[in-house]
Amino acid sequence: MRLILLVTGLAAAPVLAQSAPLRVDINAGLMQPMPIAVPSFAPGNGASTEAGTTTALGERAAQVIAGDLRSSGLFKPIDPAAYTTSVGIDDVLKPDFPAWRTIAAQALVTGTVTANPDGGITLACYAYDVFAGAEIARQGFVTTAAGWRRAAHKCADLVYSRLTGESGYFDSRIVYVSETGARTRRIKRLAIMDQDGAGHRFLTSGQNLVLTPRFAPGQQTITYMSFENNRPRVWLYTLGSGRQEAVGAFTGMTFAPRFSPDGQNLVFSMAVGGNTDIYRFNIATRATSRLTSGPGIDTSPSYSPDGAKIVFESDRGGSQQVYVMNADGTGQQRISFGEGRSASPVWSPRGDYIAFTRIGGGRFGIGVMRPDGSGERLLTNGYQDEGPSWSPNGRVILFARGDRSGQSGLWSVDISGLNERRIATPLDASDPAWSPLLP
Amino acid sequence: MTPSERLSIAGAATAHIVLLAALSLAWQNQKMLAAPTDAVPVEIVDISDAPRTPEPPKPSMEAAPQDTAAAAPEAEAAPEPEPVKADAVPPPEPTKPSPPKPKAATPTKAPPSPLDTSTLASLIDKSLPKATKKPLDTSKLAKELNAAAPARATVDPRAAATLAQAIRAQVAPCWNPPVGGRDVRRMTVIVTVNYSRDGRVIGMPQAGTPTGMTATNADYARAFAETARRAVLRCQPLKLPAELYDLWGSVEINFDPEEMT
Repeated sequence: MRLILLVTGLAAAPVLAQSAPLRVDINAGLMQPMPIAVPSFAPGNGASTEAGTTTALGERAAQVIAGDLRSSGLFKPIDPAAYTTSVGIDDVLKPDFPAWRTIAAQALVTGTVTANPDGGITLACYAYDVFAGAEIARQGFVTTAAGWRRAAHKCADLVYSRLTGESGYFDSRIVYVSETGARTRRIKRLAIMDQDGAGHRFLTSGQNLVLTPRFAPGQQTITYMSFENNRPRVWLYTLGSGRQEAVGAFTGMTFAPRFSPDGQNLVFSMAVGGNTDIYRFNIATRATSRLTSGPGIDTSPSYSPDGAKIVFESDRGGSQQVYVMNADGTGQQRISFGEGRSASPVWSPRGDYIAFTRIGGGRFGIGVMRPDGSGERLLTNGYQDEGPSWSPNGRVILFARGDRSGQSGLWSVDISGLNERRIATPLDASDPAWSPLLP
Repeated sequence: MTPSERLSIAGAATAHIVLLAALSLAWQNQKMLAAPTDAVPVEIVDISDAPRTPEPPKPSMEAAPQDTAAAAPEAEAAPEPEPVKADAVPPPEPTKPSPPKPKAATPTKAPPSPLDTSTLASLIDKSLPKATKKPLDTSKLAKELNAAAPARATVDPRAAATLAQAIRAQVAPCWNPPVGGRDVRRMTVIVTVNYSRDGRVIGMPQAGTPTGMTATNADYARAFAETARRAVLRCQPLKLPAELYDLWGSVEINFDPEEMT
């Protein structure tokens, strides 16, 4: 974290009438992660659940919440060894604020885990502003015993959103391509996991090569490209049933699919007769419309969150660059003019930025620019950083980082360019896509 | 698509053709792994003062019992967690979520010990950046101020400026504005603070309505205003010349992150 200009000199000397209060201008502060205490949640009763005792779940829930908050880079959970006070059942609602102040905790999260008669649990989550000595949020979450982790993520989202004023993103998942094997005989499988890496599962067997998985807005469905039957084309995967189906019956190769924000359409590239253009496919009616035309490769389409525009990549001008068009294909214009090439653009869910892969000088980095192409900033610069995907709140970007040895993994970076961190996967990983918040 | 993706598509296509030649049928049907058990539903409930009752095993919160049916959990959408407004829920004990307005200068319960949070923070974590401020020599400051403001009633603007500078230097290190937020650049907030003679904050500092607040960013505006209030509460007591207390007993601090990157 950077120290940012503390004192700003005698700007704007305050005018002081005798009766008016003294006026002070503070134009900068100190940007640092907020120290926060997340003591183990207290057992609401002594019962046991399938997932463990309420005491054990309370400890694990606090660890999950602290882990979530730490991963954002905006919070610094205080080591429990520094706590000067314990949090029993009676302290959950009546925290000893002075004790938390002495260890400089600015916020405090307490809670309980209670076993319900039906075998489920209720996780109660309370957030406090320690220096104001006030409760600032509370919420209960009822779920199955196995769902304790999701309840903890939702508690972390509550705390994050209350303290930052932005929506949370911890109760979400990541789908990506898991890779293993020699470079020439790479096995690629779709895999899914919670955003913190828990609950990892493979979705496909690895028999067919898969690429570019993307979530539907309701996130029951994933669209991706598969080489099944040696025909590279776009597929849909339904998470609840595990059902897979090919999209449409096109003669050309289809790839780089993505859902529209309303989930009713897919946009993807189709290569026909040596020309690759972007098409829109209505999932219900199967109506297909071609959105781009002309020579060159138009690919990687991504909708704006309001569905009105599509950003995409094209080499029509001689090299890969980022273009924006209206959702019906009209008004196409180039927006990237930075050095090198710009590829794989993705529109932020909050609409304010487009993330992209910058290629140049033998390196790949992740950058962001405004939808009009202004304000371009490079957030990472690696040997091969590519394939950006936004967190559901548009604050964090997930991407794949490859090294010279051919290994690759998943990383994330804050939109400020800070807090670059690796997300652990069992095998090599590429092509990540962040889900929307879980329903 | 990046060149590496193109390369891998081409490579994989070739590999598949080779495979097809080598192997025969049977492999074509993609084997499905068992459908993943999907995210279990989580139901959002309001909670009352639950933890008071440690023993009874039944949920002491007004929680509807959970559907245990495991079938097609993906289909039934649990309600989206709506952040409960703090004031919509009865706060547990005497603590009130919204800042009470300190009208009279009634001394509040002072924190138990003189608290230098910056020192504490650095004790707890050496990696925390330290505020780069020199310890304030208040005697020197008072001298300067007295020289600048000899009169009793009216104050030289230079004296006020020096005083404002001293307050700024002491409060700014505690301000941790939510940068990276969408609207941070457009937002400012004024916090009105009453200080006692020993430099401690009296009552709860009152944050005004942030500029740039709209219907869509009210949550952000609230969090923004709270960072300003927290700065005032954390960085106290102020070390200021007691003889000029009349000048700094009540202060309006304008928090504006214009110089943050």
